[in-house]
Amino acid sequence: MYHWEPNANSGKPMLALLEKGVSFDSHYLDLLNFDQHKPEYLAVNPQGTIPAMRHGNRVLTESTAIMEYVDEVFSGPPLMPENPRDRWRVRWWMKFMDQWLAPSFSMIGWNVFVGPAVRSKDPDELKAAIERIPLPERRTAWRKAIYGLFGEEEMNESRRRVAVGIRMLEAALGEREWLASDRYSLADVNGFNLGYALPLSQPTLSNDELTPNILRWLRAIYARPTTKACWAMGRTAMVKRVAILEQSYIGQEHAT
Amino acid sequence: MTVYHGEPNGPSFTVLAALFETGIDAAVVHIDLAKGGRHSLACAQQPEVAMSVEGEGPVVVVDGEGMTDSVFIACYFDDLGKSNSLRPSDPFARWEMMTWCRQLIERTAPAAAYLGISAHAPSGDAAMLARIGSVDLRARWQDAVAGAHAEDRLADSRTKIAQAVDKMEARLNGREWLMGEFSIADLESYAWLAGMVELVPSAFAQRPRTADWMQRVRLRPAVAKALAQARQPAPAACWAPGPEINRWG
Repeated sequence: MYHWEPNANSGKPMLALLEKGVSFDSHYLDLLNFDQHKPEYLAVNPQGTIPAMRHGNRVLTESTAIMEYVDEVFSGPPLMPENPRDRWRVRWWMKFMDQWLAPSFSMIGWNVFVGPAVRSKDPDELKAAIERIPLPERRTAWRKAIYGLFGEEEMNESRRRVAVGIRMLEAALGEREWLASDRYSLADVNGFNLGYALPLSQPTLSNDELTPNILRWLRAIYARPTTKACWAMGRTAMVKRVAILEQSYIGQEHAT
Repeated sequence: MTVYHGEPNGPSFTVLAALFETGIDAAVVHIDLAKGGRHSLACAQQPEVAMSVEGEGPVVVVDGEGMTDSVFIACYFDDLGKSNSLRPSDPFARWEMMTWCRQLIERTAPAAAYLGISAHAPSGDAAMLARIGSVDLRARWQDAVAGAHAEDRLADSRTKIAQAVDKMEARLNGREWLMGEFSIADLESYAWLAGMVELVPSAFAQRPRTADWMQRVRLRPAVAKALAQARQPAPAACWAPGPEINRWG
């Protein structure tokens, strides 16, 4: 498994593998050091996106599709429900998070975390690093993050979407024990990677008063030994924020 | 089960063809997606209907629950059918199929829908627009109804269609169907590209494998039956706002 931190896309197949009880070789790529655009990694995944998984002589990319593959190909507890309509709901929520909600979270994250984290590097080095990025979309994203080019309008739209998404997650988790069905599934693996630090990153929108179902759900996933093992593979302060879930109650006053 | 669909183009094409390929029993009801007909359905405000990433597409209703997103509806039909006739049996080939469809929905479908609505504008009155549950989908509708299209987005969309056809042409080298066996990837690719032959003809020039493949798709009885559900003379020219163009640029 070629991955960065157990966070967003990298953490999805990592946690899925751990849930299936499959051991894997970890190749940690430092996203903030642009390891994912270096020739050694481009030989594995020419698109330069993380994560990628080598299984036998094949390389798989796209984290959500990798998770479905992992679930199908390895024995171990199933991570997709049996019922066809539940399976549809798992896929619907993963796509909603991958394509609508997560990009808004990540725009905020890149603006406040990734951009500032790399901005102190040598300007010429940064310029060269951007030019090495294979996908034009990723080149645009890095340029915006590094030079702080996110506009107020698009940041406001991202904040609006994060608020809408939190309300939707809270409502869905009020109807069911898990996000997409009555059993733990890939949708929960996906959602935890997106939301594990919600009460810290969005304290005025997500806490035990406003979103009790989300907090119950996050704590239930964090309580799984597999989740602990997965997050222990992280190296940055960003993923250590998961420890917020050890608090049994996070009230609204936490926001101030 | 009831399948509410629009003209057999884009996501409605995928869902109708997948329904007939699998032989699942369902009531089939035509709604005018290009006039916002989906937003009058009883399930319109359910989150999985209102917030579908696909934009305007068909809705399958089972026990009052509205289901959207054509590729996943096709997977649902395939699961119900038990014969798994729409997905490869090998897990790696399934991964390839899901990845193919994902990239299509992220890159090709937004471009096709943008070009489609700029050439064939949908119509919606204020009452319909007010019913749309998703704020960003409503904004795309307002632009579409007003005929507001950005020239740089149109140009970028044409480029993305040309790239998609290049990818098709390469993939079809030595293959009858995109994944080897016929699959949802063939339906979803046809769904978004069929209407582009008219709008971006240069993308299809000297692409014989893609042209032959389109003909093979049309010759399938289930596809012919899906296309026969059309109410308009040219269903591939019927468009409504689709998935949004990637906000990251």
